[in-house]
Amino acid sequence: MNHRTQILPGVYLTAVQSDKFKTGCFSLNLLRPMKKEEAAANALIPSVLLRGSVQHPDIASVSARLDELYGASIGTLIRKKGEVQLVGFYCDYVQDEYVQEPVFAPLMEFLSELLLAPRLENGAFPAGVVESEKQNLLNAMLARINDKRSYANSQLLRTMCAGQPYGVPRIGEPEDLDEMTPQSLYAHYEALLATSRVELFYMGSLAPERVIEVLRQTLKALPRAGQLVPVGTTPAPAARSVQEKTERLDVTQGKLSLGFFTDITANDPRYPALVLAATVFGGGATSKLFTNVREQMSLCYYASASFEKFKGVLVVSSGVEFSKLETAKKEILRQLEACCEGEISDYEMESARGYLVSDLRIAMDSPGRLDDFYMGQILLESSATMRDLSDAIARVTKEEAAQAARTLRLDTIYELQGVQA
Amino acid sequence: MIRKDFPKLAEHYFEERLANGLVVRVIEKPGFAKRYAFVAADYGSIDAEFILNGKKYTTPQGVAHYLEHKMFDLPEGNAMQEFAKYAGANNAFTSYTMTAYYVECTEHLEENLEILLRMVTTGYFTEESVQKERGIIAQEIRMYDDSADSAVMENLFRIMYQNHPARNNIAGTLESIQDITAETLRLCHDTFYDPSNLTVCVIGDVDARSIIDQVRRQTPEGKPARVERCYGAPEPQEVQNRRIEKEMEISMPAFAIGFRCPDAGRGRDAMRMELIGELAGEILIGESSKLYQKLYDENVIDADFSVDYERMKGMALLELCGDSEQPERILHEVLQEAARVTDTGVDRALLDRLKKSVTGRRLRGLDGFEGTCYRMCAYYFDGAEYLDYPDIYAGVTAEDVEQFIRENVKEELAFVSVIRPKREKEEKSCC
Repeated sequence: MNHRTQILPGVYLTAVQSDKFKTGCFSLNLLRPMKKEEAAANALIPSVLLRGSVQHPDIASVSARLDELYGASIGTLIRKKGEVQLVGFYCDYVQDEYVQEPVFAPLMEFLSELLLAPRLENGAFPAGVVESEKQNLLNAMLARINDKRSYANSQLLRTMCAGQPYGVPRIGEPEDLDEMTPQSLYAHYEALLATSRVELFYMGSLAPERVIEVLRQTLKALPRAGQLVPVGTTPAPAARSVQEKTERLDVTQGKLSLGFFTDITANDPRYPALVLAATVFGGGATSKLFTNVREQMSLCYYASASFEKFKGVLVVSSGVEFSKLETAKKEILRQLEACCEGEISDYEMESARGYLVSDLRIAMDSPGRLDDFYMGQILLESSATMRDLSDAIARVTKEEAAQAARTLRLDTIYELQGVQA
Repeated sequence: MIRKDFPKLAEHYFEERLANGLVVRVIEKPGFAKRYAFVAADYGSIDAEFILNGKKYTTPQGVAHYLEHKMFDLPEGNAMQEFAKYAGANNAFTSYTMTAYYVECTEHLEENLEILLRMVTTGYFTEESVQKERGIIAQEIRMYDDSADSAVMENLFRIMYQNHPARNNIAGTLESIQDITAETLRLCHDTFYDPSNLTVCVIGDVDARSIIDQVRRQTPEGKPARVERCYGAPEPQEVQNRRIEKEMEISMPAFAIGFRCPDAGRGRDAMRMELIGELAGEILIGESSKLYQKLYDENVIDADFSVDYERMKGMALLELCGDSEQPERILHEVLQEAARVTDTGVDRALLDRLKKSVTGRRLRGLDGFEGTCYRMCAYYFDGAEYLDYPDIYAGVTAEDVEQFIRENVKEELAFVSVIRPKREKEEKSCC
């Protein structure tokens, strides 16, 4: 159904042909190692590029061009997968057959123009543009505090992986923007283009051959160095004593996040068992966390667990009344203990399995989820499909799930409390 | 069962109005693994006051949302656990005007739909379970209380509307939910969950005939009640307070500016007004406008800025929201731009380009099962056919947009809600 082809040196296309959608989906990703020194610069460049090209020099003309292409959208896309940062663009557009003129090829031409022919001032990005996008990125970094649920999780990961590549936030840190100038950013942009592996994803009604033809043509001016920067993720660190961090803010609901490491990552044969164990533990309305901690004990408004498959990190995230933080923590750990002991009912096991298998099949109908899955598989150098994963999950036994759960080691506890004690 | 075709959109659906008044719509999408069923009640948070059989009822704020939580209770247990047996991923939401329940699955759609229908048509409320839910809902309200995005809009509605119930939060308040009992829920369920007040929408690789037959078999006869909903007296012309501010633990000030527009009514007229309002917003301060460019270049707004026309029964507004240090400046600039457009007229080429853009974006929106079900039901409740929008759109002229701007984008109709970061104040006080 899909295939990955090298269409230019170091430029790979994964194309999925499907005529089920009115919307076509495309993403362009430059792959970088997650590094504190460059994460913010990498995250900034797509936003600067969207501010205008030589031919379409400002936001109004860029937007007008997209309006003409039947309201196509080009957005920045900054992802973090394990210790790899993927930066670039995604495009959503009406497929050619639903409107009176072609959209895909002209859109790709426009994207290439934005990527390769930015508007410059004195041989660098325009100072005003850099300044305003730096401010926007800084605001986005500072805005992490606005959503307390994700803030708690990101504070947990920062504490858990302080000083390591995995601890670098997806869009970098505020202080790394300080030294950046239009000249230094432009120099970094040139290096980014020349030395990054490029992964493209297409899902739509065109035959892969046609997509390759369009992209070879539109990206032919992409500069390519002989040597591309390698990317990858190191395994989880060894066990240590549990780290604890507490913060106080003027909030009405407390947050409790717990971070666990495991040696199991996506290419491990035990991975399907761990995914199932994590789902039994905290993956939905039939999970132990939901049914016991939320429903039966009314301890939390939400309590769920999610697993990051590249590094091997499980995060439990919950919203709790301040006075119940300690009780909730004990109860969450007790529920995990039950998973490790294999105290899993048939109902819990089968509903988690059914949910995962169904979710994977549904994801096969979602261009965005497929893009994200395949980008992950490419980084893992795995050819396994969603179908393979769903077949493997269908075979996991309770004992295997419990065994996988036993590999989880609690590393860090983060609490967000109110200011009034 | 009838088939309705929308050739301009390459879409069609099957529809039947059952004897009990319930309307079922099915969109067959061969080749998709996902099957999606959506049941909506024409009942939201603003329907708290109503006249039933000549008697007036005033129910506590947040009752529609509370009811949504308790609809999952069945005599045999929690519906979520029933769904889980058939791998049905289910959820529900309450908006100002609608309460909806949905399930998505790959196999076992029949079983999942059966649970969904039983759940929505069975009002099973015990004092004990209603009491227990109060803690969970209180936590949910606290969570919204900590969210600036919710607070900025809630505050805007609170100053814009003295009488319309949109001024109250969807989930109610910690105080108002104390007054909700099993009896309240029973009253509201009887009144608003009658089959004649429900719509079922199913999308996926399904057979329309058998879905419709199943819904017919599995929904009760119903006793349609004569309900008159009350949305408060007309808003006063003289307004005391057109600014509201609050401090929260956030990094950047968030703002929402609302221009109070006249009630757009129902049906096609309201849909037409929506399209006009949407275009007016785009022309004044949409992404391809000069004003957006200027404010963005000067760092007054960022990419999170948005402009929308929103309406519900009894109210409508043009809203601008985002993060900014200078909301008053944005208001000032948009008023100036409105005056300019009123003076010189709408650029025809720009209007055509924007129409092309909106056409493409709406077309893309039809891919989403969730959004399509939601819109089909919302517009049905409102007496309109959502998929008729291309024809309505074709009839919108530059004069319509000019008139909208002239009549609505005025200082005396503008309201501003701002959420400021807490820290600012601390910094000031320490200097």
